[in-house]
Amino acid sequence: MTEIAKIAIVDDEVHIRALLEQTLEDLDGEPEILTAANGAEGLALIERERPQLVFLDVMMPLMNGYEVCAAVRSNPDLAATTIVMLTAKGQEADRTRGLETGAHHFVTKPFDPDEILDLAREILQAS
Amino acid sequence: MIKASNYLKPAWVRRQFELAFPLLPPGTSAALWLSGKLLAEIGGAASGLAEDTPGAQAFHLVLEQERVGTLLLSSPATQALDWGKAFAHALQGILDAEHARRSVAQETLESYREMALLQRAVTELNHSLKPAAVAASLLKEFDGRKDTAGHGAVFLRNPDSASLELIQSFGEDAAKTFARLQGSRLFAEMATREAGDIINDLPASSQWAEEATDFKALLWLPLIAHGENLGLLVLASRHADGFAAGDLKRAQTLSSVAAAALRNAQLYAAEQDMFQSFVRVIATAIDAKSPYTAGHCRRVPEIALMIAEMAHQADSGPFADFVLDEDKRNTLQIAAMLHDCGKVVTPEWVVDKATKLDHIENRIHLIATRFEVLRRDAEIALYRALAEHADGDAARRIYQERLQQLDDDFAFIEKCNLGAEFTSDEQVARIQDVARTTWRDSRGEAFPLLTENEVYNLSVQRGTLNPEERKIIEDHAVHTINMLSQISFPRSLRNVTEYAAGHHERMDGRGYPRGLKRDQLSIPARIVAIADIFEALTAPDRPYRKPGTLNWAINIMHRMKLDNHIDGELFDLFISQGVYAAYAQKHLVAGQIDDVDVARYLG
Repeated sequence: MTEIAKIAIVDDEVHIRALLEQTLEDLDGEPEILTAANGAEGLALIERERPQLVFLDVMMPLMNGYEVCAAVRSNPDLAATTIVMLTAKGQEADRTRGLETGAHHFVTKPFDPDEILDLAREILQAS
Repeated sequence: MIKASNYLKPAWVRRQFELAFPLLPPGTSAALWLSGKLLAEIGGAASGLAEDTPGAQAFHLVLEQERVGTLLLSSPATQALDWGKAFAHALQGILDAEHARRSVAQETLESYREMALLQRAVTELNHSLKPAAVAASLLKEFDGRKDTAGHGAVFLRNPDSASLELIQSFGEDAAKTFARLQGSRLFAEMATREAGDIINDLPASSQWAEEATDFKALLWLPLIAHGENLGLLVLASRHADGFAAGDLKRAQTLSSVAAAALRNAQLYAAEQDMFQSFVRVIATAIDAKSPYTAGHCRRVPEIALMIAEMAHQADSGPFADFVLDEDKRNTLQIAAMLHDCGKVVTPEWVVDKATKLDHIENRIHLIATRFEVLRRDAEIALYRALAEHADGDAARRIYQERLQQLDDDFAFIEKCNLGAEFTSDEQVARIQDVARTTWRDSRGEAFPLLTENEVYNLSVQRGTLNPEERKIIEDHAVHTINMLSQISFPRSLRNVTEYAAGHHERMDGRGYPRGLKRDQLSIPARIVAIADIFEALTAPDRPYRKPGTLNWAINIMHRMKLDNHIDGELFDLFISQGVYAAYAQKHLVAGQIDDVDVARYLG
């Protein structure tokens, strides 16, 4: 990672954004953390900033996570973006649909901070 | 160390500077430093305001009595200083609020961590009902984590002796190093404590420096469930500052779940033991009922499991899909042990009926006595004739002929009684002939030489059992079903009855008690049938014959295969995989083991 990594958090719940952001601050290399509070804003952010990694909530106003995911996947310029979907506990069935739309990983909320950090390190190292 | 540079976004600070600047006197420059990092600056070309620039006005920002940053201001006019003071005040307020928010978030993240750990632990630690597997799952949570121990071990208390035994461990030379630790006074101390603790920098401890030389730091926790101390978790490190309070907290979370899982595992093991001992009691009772079948219920499971293991290992052929998992193995073993349990209600004189006239006692002796009476009658007749001066030679000839006939008849009856050979219709007619002879008791009353019941039994054409007795024997299979279906087996053992009750069924549906066909019988049920037959044929002692040789037994079983009596595919597996030979090496005597021409029986 020569240049500073960018990570986007797209979630309509402010506490999830805050908690994820604070968790990701523990990563080495001080990645730039960007946030968006709904799907449409999130997609615009991703298209503009081209982050290596996006944490994407499923249930959001304006554009849900699947739609954002599908839009990102259909854009060849964003092929290097890895998408981690955030699903609510007990709705693991969403995974199938997420996989179909091109998400790479799934994390259930409430998330395990260590799992998030391990996953982010792994993805950023690979990119 | 508070990392305040994360508390404010540089872009936001820059915007504040840009908004304020038009209001400030020309020549003013400003910079904000947080945690040694320059967040934003404004004014002039590279104002270069460092935290220690002389002449600049510095407004310090503080969190928890620690200086975390500085707003620097350089201006020709004092008016700018007033703005700086106000802005620094506002920044301090924002930092205070952000610090409070982050503390709450940090607490939340810690709860998330613990919740995730608990969730995983509950699943991981409860996936097995084996104490060693639970211990292994617990240690897996510590093994390989960069921030904790290089060594770990779980000791479990032996319920009888109360001593701690090493069950699982990880780390370099774990078994040896933990054995050494177990011998130390320190370990004895750890074992008696009711709560866990950490000792860091062991070599510096005046009390324990000599005790645990393999490690420099230890963390231990008793495993307690329902107030019962089940064992001890020990983590050890070769670093003096090996453990922190957070490690102990994490270990406590995991240990509480592990202890509950261990208790469940121990209760389950105790239930299993009790059930197994009941099964053994029943099997022993059946075996003890008849000296001839001693060990049958012990050996049939052994053969059955050997066959099932071979079917499990087969990765092609008819048994490629057969899987012998742990539940199936237990079910088969119990079923094979109990397959004859119905025999506890079968009268032993039927089970052991060695001759046709057996009825608690072998009644051939009664008949022998009657023959003896007739022999003596003949002798009396001879002397009477001689006394009456009859023709002596003729009388002797008649006597000799009579004796000859009686001896022939008795020999014939004796042979029929053994049931070793098929009794033909002609022989049945002769039995009836012999029965027509009469003898007289002391009161002069005449009786047939053979009673009706004796004729009936002697006329059995195959074996020694009459139809009623055969029914009694066959009923044991019904009793087996009745008895086993009254036991409420756990789900994992729900097939015991099916596996056990089919051992007298035939593939062609002509067996008993239900006349089931091959496809109505599970593979394990068919395995028990073959194991039962093979054991019976090769058992060292049976009432009706000498111990059979391997060749003889397998030849009979081969005929049973051709007759569609036993499962041909299982028979082939039994022969081709050498199950018979492995069993013979272990249980048969030298005289029974002969060469088996495998090729002859296959295909």
